Amino acid sequence: MPATAERAEARAAWLLSAPALLGLALFLALPFALAVALSFTNLRLGSPLPLELVGLEQYARVLADARFRQALGNNLVFAAVVVPVQTACALGLALLLHGRLRARALYRAAFFLPVVFPLALVAVLWVLLYAPGPGGLVNRALALLTLGHWTPRDFLHDPAWALPAIMVTSIWQGVGFQMVILLAGLQGIPRHLYEAAALDGAGRWARFRHVTLPGLRNPLVFTALVTPILAFRLFDQVRIMTRGGPAGATTTVVHEIFEAAYVRAQAARASAMTVIFFLIVLAITLLQRRLAAHRRWAG
Amino acid sequence: MRSAAAPGRCRPRCGVFAGALAALVLVAVLAGCGREAGPAAALTVWAHAGQAAERRVLEAQVARWNAAHPEARVALTLLPEGAYGSQVQAAALAGDLPDVLELDGPYVASYAWQGHLRPLDGLLPPDVIGDLIPSVRAQGTWRGRLYAVGAFDSGLALWARRSLVEAAGARIPAHPREAWSAREFEALLAALAARDPDGAVLDLKLNWQGEWYTYGFSPLLVSAGGDLIDRSRWRAAGTLDGPASVAAMRTVQGWIRRGYVDPNLDDAAFVQGRVALSWSGHWDWPRYRAAWGEDLVLVPLPDLGRGSRSGQGSWAWGVTTRARDPRLAARFLAFLLRPEEVLAMTAANGAVPGTRTALARSPAHAPGGPLHLYAVQLTQGWTVPRPRTPAYPVITSAFQQAFADIRDGVDPRAALARAARLIDEDIAANAGYR
Repeated sequence: MPATAERAEARAAWLLSAPALLGLALFLALPFALAVALSFTNLRLGSPLPLELVGLEQYARVLADARFRQALGNNLVFAAVVVPVQTACALGLALLLHGRLRARALYRAAFFLPVVFPLALVAVLWVLLYAPGPGGLVNRALALLTLGHWTPRDFLHDPAWALPAIMVTSIWQGVGFQMVILLAGLQGIPRHLYEAAALDGAGRWARFRHVTLPGLRNPLVFTALVTPILAFRLFDQVRIMTRGGPAGATTTVVHEIFEAAYVRAQAARASAMTVIFFLIVLAITLLQRRLAAHRRWAG
Repeated sequence: MRSAAAPGRCRPRCGVFAGALAALVLVAVLAGCGREAGPAAALTVWAHAGQAAERRVLEAQVARWNAAHPEARVALTLLPEGAYGSQVQAAALAGDLPDVLELDGPYVASYAWQGHLRPLDGLLPPDVIGDLIPSVRAQGTWRGRLYAVGAFDSGLALWARRSLVEAAGARIPAHPREAWSAREFEALLAALAARDPDGAVLDLKLNWQGEWYTYGFSPLLVSAGGDLIDRSRWRAAGTLDGPASVAAMRTVQGWIRRGYVDPNLDDAAFVQGRVALSWSGHWDWPRYRAAWGEDLVLVPLPDLGRGSRSGQGSWAWGVTTRARDPRLAARFLAFLLRPEEVLAMTAANGAVPGTRTALARSPAHAPGGPLHLYAVQLTQGWTVPRPRTPAYPVITSAFQQAFADIRDGVDPRAALARAARLIDEDIAANAGYR
């Protein structure tokens, strides 16, 4: 009797998940399988020449391409800076907006607003903010803050500043998302834990360290898993703000894939890039999951 | 994990709901695909959504055609200019091309090589073809056959404020023969900068990016004795990264380095009077004329050693190999090439009329007219067509990236060498595009 019930339940589960699974297979698994297959050919979009199998040649070309390696490096730097900084900012904002504050809802909405904006719009706005010369808003603000010691820069065309400039834009745009998740997490921490800690004589820092942070573990693990993936997808800001320049200082893997596939019509080469990139992101995600699981055990 | 199941009580029902929703969406999408707006059109036409004035004229032209030929209705679809190329390419892959396609001039060879265009030689009446100005005919021709016809061609030169240039002590050249030399041009920039509050006196439209970089600045390579590619051997190495091309790009980089160039984020540097010179095309005529009236003058691009050279090529019309009725499609093209239709379009966008009959009737392009320089450049051989080869998409992409890097201070030799390598690799990977 329990066996039949279980089987019926399993059937129901398959039936109910079928639409989602079908969607995943159709829009995720199939295109990826195609990308793997195409990466061994010389497919060029629109070319009337016959399709040929070229083995691993596309991979060899991609790995030999300095611009692709540069893009990968930029992605890693971007993720390494943006993930911790954005998470820390989100935590700070969440803590500020969790406490008693006048017009709290207004502030929460204000910080969440950029998440709702289309990325393209955000990017165009920030191009204007980063305007070169003393007239640019960011330049003017920095001159004001440094009492005139700031020399105006052309942020988006300066190899040293372009990637940091895009990081700032991305953090500004994305921080609200994590903030909302962490705010929800904060509201889930029972008040009595704080009261007990206070009775035990724990100070502000000790309460944060031993009550708030452990209580936020799941939302923090979630944001730490999701933000790198979002960071690796970096494309819109780069396309609109710098097109990968100056001299590749801000190019990303997705931008290089776009250039190869849609500008130069090299679909096979773009497929090979996609496969390489997928494997790298998969490895990082698995590593993170393992670390997170490990910490859960230890905690 | 268990705790996560608590809000999951409604899951079965949610699943059913989601499934039903997905099915509904799918049905709606499928139903939408099969539906056509209004009565079936005899001709489908795709065009790029250019400036508002151009768009209005094109829509009026289609309305005139439809009024005159109710049995051969034209359905016009406007696609945004920024993504026009990739959308058309995607449609070509899916076999969804319209009967008549507007395409950017330098891409004609690429589309023809891919087999999407039908030669127009036998379709258009010979007198219509014979009436085209030489640059339009050259631009639409690939391997001896005509694949596209434009109602107009583009003009590229320097827009200048006469009063400011004269105050800086420079002469105003009226013919490409008399163009400023590189040295003269730099002296002028320095003199203008000395009288300018921020020293930025030249607008290169650096805010435009994309095809503009190739269109606007590759003529300088030719003027210096270089080129995008060797047009007889179809090899970029040695030409695009040769000494002449490198020198040309060093010259441009020098103007930017010395702060003469306005970054022009708002595209208003010239109309607001921030700069005295604007490196731009015919499309800015209406705006610039409204801003400066009689003070506006058109000057040829500077001569970097081998004579002033300018760009050419613009949007053109082709009949696709998917066209259901090629003769009807060609009749529509002939209609767009009628002098009054050509002039209606060029009156709106300031471009050079693409037929001799229309050009002769355009006072702005006649001797003494404000746009006469364009007509001289295009009909007397002062312009360079962008390389007519199926490799053009890669050539322009590589050059655009190189130009962007040069603008950002990268050594021109390194930037152009990388571009040349990308181009030659692509040509080799496509068996020479033979």
